[in-house]
Amino acid sequence: MARNCIVVNVDRCTGCYSCEITCKMENGIALGEHWNKVVMVGPFGEYPDMTRYALPTMCQQCEDAPCVHVCPTGASYRDEEGKVLIDREKCIGCKYCMMACPYGVRDWNAASKTVEKCTLCGHLTAQGELPACVKSCSTGARFYGDLDDPDSDVSKELAKYDPADIHTLEDVGNHPSTKYIMTSMHGEWKERV
Amino acid sequence: MEIQWSLVSFTALAGAGAWLFFCVGVDAFVQRTNKAAFPASLLAVVLLALGGLCSVTHLSHPDRMLGALAHPAPGIFLEALLLGLLAVVAIVFAVLVKRQAGAGVRKALALVGMVLALAFTFSCGSSYLMASQAAWNTPTLPLAYLGTAAASGTAVWAVLTAVLKEDVAAVRLSGWEVLVGGAAALVLSAAYGFVSGMAVGEQALLFWAAVAVCGGALPMVCGWVMAKHPDKGLAYAVVALVGALVGSVALRALMWLAGSALMSLFGVSI
Repeated sequence: MARNCIVVNVDRCTGCYSCEITCKMENGIALGEHWNKVVMVGPFGEYPDMTRYALPTMCQQCEDAPCVHVCPTGASYRDEEGKVLIDREKCIGCKYCMMACPYGVRDWNAASKTVEKCTLCGHLTAQGELPACVKSCSTGARFYGDLDDPDSDVSKELAKYDPADIHTLEDVGNHPSTKYIMTSMHGEWKERV
Repeated sequence: MEIQWSLVSFTALAGAGAWLFFCVGVDAFVQRTNKAAFPASLLAVVLLALGGLCSVTHLSHPDRMLGALAHPAPGIFLEALLLGLLAVVAIVFAVLVKRQAGAGVRKALALVGMVLALAFTFSCGSSYLMASQAAWNTPTLPLAYLGTAAASGTAVWAVLTAVLKEDVAAVRLSGWEVLVGGAAALVLSAAYGFVSGMAVGEQALLFWAAVAVCGGALPMVCGWVMAKHPDKGLAYAVVALVGALVGSVALRALMWLAGSALMSLFGVSI
């Protein structure tokens, strides 16, 4: 099964928020709600060895997704391409998936009264396009593709870096697919934000 | 995390109903009461149904709830399944009591109900075992749910035996049951309190006052007095019930307050 996800090269990210804005425009997300959010991390450390970076966050497409396990109706599910998605027509609004998500990257749609999250812009990728956030990234810091396909954009970008410079958010057994590239030159990676 | 009162009420009420039927089951084996089994079985069904209704008020789309039947999984589905089975067992048991069915059949059904009551009250807490929630992810949480439900259910049973003026031996036994229920609430809640940090954190005062003292120690004392002085049973049973319910609700409310995801990157509060 494919492992489609977003890879972010944090070294290149300027924190311009274009991914966040484009995501909202593409997916019609209401004010105050998010599928994709840029979080500023830091500053932390001892002067002059300080770190501060922009961390674009979204569903981490966990390999062992807790949201899928706890959903009582199967509204949170993994599709045939391996993507973790939500079928909003099945969502009963119990919010167990929001409690189970280790990263808090699911949001509540106040209008439909259902849980929502990043879909990896499946409506675009199905037509051979890139997700809106990847397309709009002004510094080319975002990549989309299958981690298991060596010819995918994500695999090619990751192959350029030392494994020590490739990170994930803290893994509590859920095995997030999303990878973040951040070299020590840029600063110290924080697993938990 | 905000206190989800619908879910607090669900497990507090349905848990009390489950353990009320557990006491009915014990009585089927020791046969101390003459009148309490039938109304207690019906009251257990009412409490289970009320709890179930409370849980439905938590949902934004209860109309889609039957979708859970197509997706059997641990957690909510298991809770609903056990609650439904226990309610059916309690109804059938009440019918058997009314028809004066044989003791063997009643004991067999009572045993099934007792196992379901244990499993249901444990499952209500086990649904919250999530790696993302450090304060919840401990087996002491479902045990604390079970213990506080035991205190509430045994106290309801004690009130019934006293109100129905059952024999001294029956009231005395229900007093001992309240004592055991209170002890279970005290020990298992304290275990969860220490493991989760709740017992020494900023909510420590509320935890010890409401959960440990009201929900555990008070029913224990009342149960002991009931067992020693069955003639004064009703007053002590009522005090034990109030204390046990306060403790049961407080434990669940504090659990929600202690809930905090590993990360909250979108800053969304549940």
